[in-house]
Amino acid sequence: MNTSGTTSLRTLGLAFCLALGITLGLALAAASVMAAEQNAAPKVGDVLPDLPVTARLTPAEAAFLGLPANAPSFRLSQIKARVLLVEVFSMYCPRCQAAAPAVNRLHERLAASPQARELRFVALGAGNTPFEVDFYRQKYRTPMPLLPDEDYSLHKAFRAVGTPAFFVLQALPGGRGLKVLLFHEGQPKDEDAFFAQVLAAAKP
Amino acid sequence: MRTPRAFSIIVLLLGLALLPVPAGAVDLKDMVLDPGGLKPVDSTLKVRPGDKAPEFTLPGVLLGQGGKRLVHLSDYRGRKNVMLTFVPAAFTPVCSDQWPGYNLAKNLFDEYDTQVLGISTDNLPSLYAWAMEMRGLWFPVLSDFWPHGAVAQTYGVLRSEGTAERAIVIIDKRGVVRFARSFNINTRPDLGLIMGELHKLEEEQNALPAAPGRP
Repeated sequence: MNTSGTTSLRTLGLAFCLALGITLGLALAAASVMAAEQNAAPKVGDVLPDLPVTARLTPAEAAFLGLPANAPSFRLSQIKARVLLVEVFSMYCPRCQAAAPAVNRLHERLAASPQARELRFVALGAGNTPFEVDFYRQKYRTPMPLLPDEDYSLHKAFRAVGTPAFFVLQALPGGRGLKVLLFHEGQPKDEDAFFAQVLAAAKP
Repeated sequence: MRTPRAFSIIVLLLGLALLPVPAGAVDLKDMVLDPGGLKPVDSTLKVRPGDKAPEFTLPGVLLGQGGKRLVHLSDYRGRKNVMLTFVPAAFTPVCSDQWPGYNLAKNLFDEYDTQVLGISTDNLPSLYAWAMEMRGLWFPVLSDFWPHGAVAQTYGVLRSEGTAERAIVIIDKRGVVRFARSFNINTRPDLGLIMGELHKLEEEQNALPAAPGRP
């Protein structure tokens, strides 16, 4: 009886260890996969959070984006466009500075394209204050609205991408977020090819 | 009796093996060591507005203008206001952004007749490589490496781990400190705040009575 009782206790203990091992292993794996997804580079089909943007838009910018003038904040999904091209940049980033003239040309080409009415282009200044964003605008005469993201909240929501980075996004109905149609990190090497990529991604 | 125990260990290891492995490709942003959140300020400023700025001589690099050279603070006396920008370390996330921003804003510093001097406690070869990586800078980058952090120590911006604070010191043409602050090391000081201080300095300088004999 004693031997048998000891044996069943041992069996029970080992079964417990086994169950604990499996649970711990799977839980660790699941947690790491979730963390990796949050930090992983965005890919087509991903849905990004649609957080509020605090920016003082000029009347011309508000009109361009179809937003009420003097609104203290808005969400990218409120911009009147079927698709959005969003550049994540920083006034302090030398690669963004080097890319600025090409980015301006991209805006001009998109504005002259058949999809101009359905597409709007904005740039988020990651960690940039309103002064810094204004300075960048004056320096490069950027034609698209530049939106300060002083506390990096949108940058973090956009997976803390390296700058410059470009997204073509589509707002999902019901405030379900912003679906990634195209993601490109770094200065586009070939302006023509990138312009074509953006148009293709933005196609209905 | 041993088999189930060994099996449970194998299952645990299999679970751990499912953890993602870093990809082989190295992205540029992954090449920069992220020090994580640091104590915002780890020293006490020893200069304040109205003080005579402590004189120093440091070796520096100025790309495109002869490379290495010695820079004396007094070189600018009577000619230019000076903004000292102390940063913690070369090749770190926030620092690698801050000076390229001042590089872009050269016209603003020129408007306020201000020479920027970048200072860190890194050695000169590291600073040279870093300046090259930042695609060149219009202002000298000075090495306060040896005696280690001596200038930072004099200004009260040397942290306990041997790096400098993320500090800004504005010195007028007479060599007097007009602004001094150690900012949170984890964030960049707002360029608007710096320009606001330079604007204030310019207004005060303009309000000074003209020197005798000046037209």
